[in-house]
Amino acid sequence: MNDDEPLSAEESLNLIAQQSRRNRRELGGGPARMLAAWAFAWLLGWGFTYFATQTASIPGWVGGVLVAVLFVLAITYTGYVSARAGRGIRGPSKTVGAMYGYSWALSSIGLTVIDIRITQFGSLSSDQVSLLWSGTWLLLTGVLYLAGGMLWQDKLMYGLGAWMIVSAGLSVLVGFPANFLVLAICGGGGFLLGAIVYFVREKSGRR
Amino acid sequence: MSELPQLDPVIHAQARLRVTVALAGLHTGDQITFPRLQQLLDMTAGNLSTHLRKLEDAEYVEITKAYEHRTPVTLVRLTAAGRAAFESYTKALHQLLDATGGD
Repeated sequence: MNDDEPLSAEESLNLIAQQSRRNRRELGGGPARMLAAWAFAWLLGWGFTYFATQTASIPGWVGGVLVAVLFVLAITYTGYVSARAGRGIRGPSKTVGAMYGYSWALSSIGLTVIDIRITQFGSLSSDQVSLLWSGTWLLLTGVLYLAGGMLWQDKLMYGLGAWMIVSAGLSVLVGFPANFLVLAICGGGGFLLGAIVYFVREKSGRR
Repeated sequence: MSELPQLDPVIHAQARLRVTVALAGLHTGDQITFPRLQQLLDMTAGNLSTHLRKLEDAEYVEITKAYEHRTPVTLVRLTAAGRAAFESYTKALHQLLDATGGD
């Protein structure tokens, strides 16, 4: 195309729409894809773990290993997507994004230490240990989504956080092994619903 | 009938319009490195420099040279004036379309 050719108003608007689409694709349109990755990890991982508790043929550790593998994949994907989108960008939004990422890492390490220590005391039954882990992790997830909602003034993200906290309470109330169902359906389902809403918003051009 | 709005000649050119849209896609206060902007636009370095200079002359764009780990980097951002100019430009486009009955 020739740079010097005069543009009509319509051509200009088309050009704006074209470049905006390119921006969204390259700079990361929103959290839809990341949420979809986490929905996949939670639904499959916790769903399988619940299924394993219902049959004697699958040893308990298989579910644990599957969840660990799926989480590592989801973390890697999330890191890759945000690093790719943030290439060559400097400024407040990059700082905020990095701090948010580190908040997840720091608080996850802290909670892992606490939960492992309490588990090691051996005073809780294995069913109660399971509730400790599902309750605290859903709570942490919820709180961090509340924080994300505040950071980016995103009501949907805040709502997702609130939902995760409700799920945390629910998971300990229903007890073992239904807590895995809460993790899969309420947790994973929450991520999936969030992913769908963000995806629809992206397609309709809203931010 | 109101007069037809004038389109800002600084923005109303294919290449500079695309540069402006790309920069307006960043969050307020954020900057982008020259190579990343180039990749976002598929423009040659020379071409992009020329158009950035024109936008800088109009004070729509601010270009900063900095050092990161001893490597020089060129950072670009849309100024508040640039963002406002882009907003009134798109508004003018819509007014023109309404006036000419195109849609």
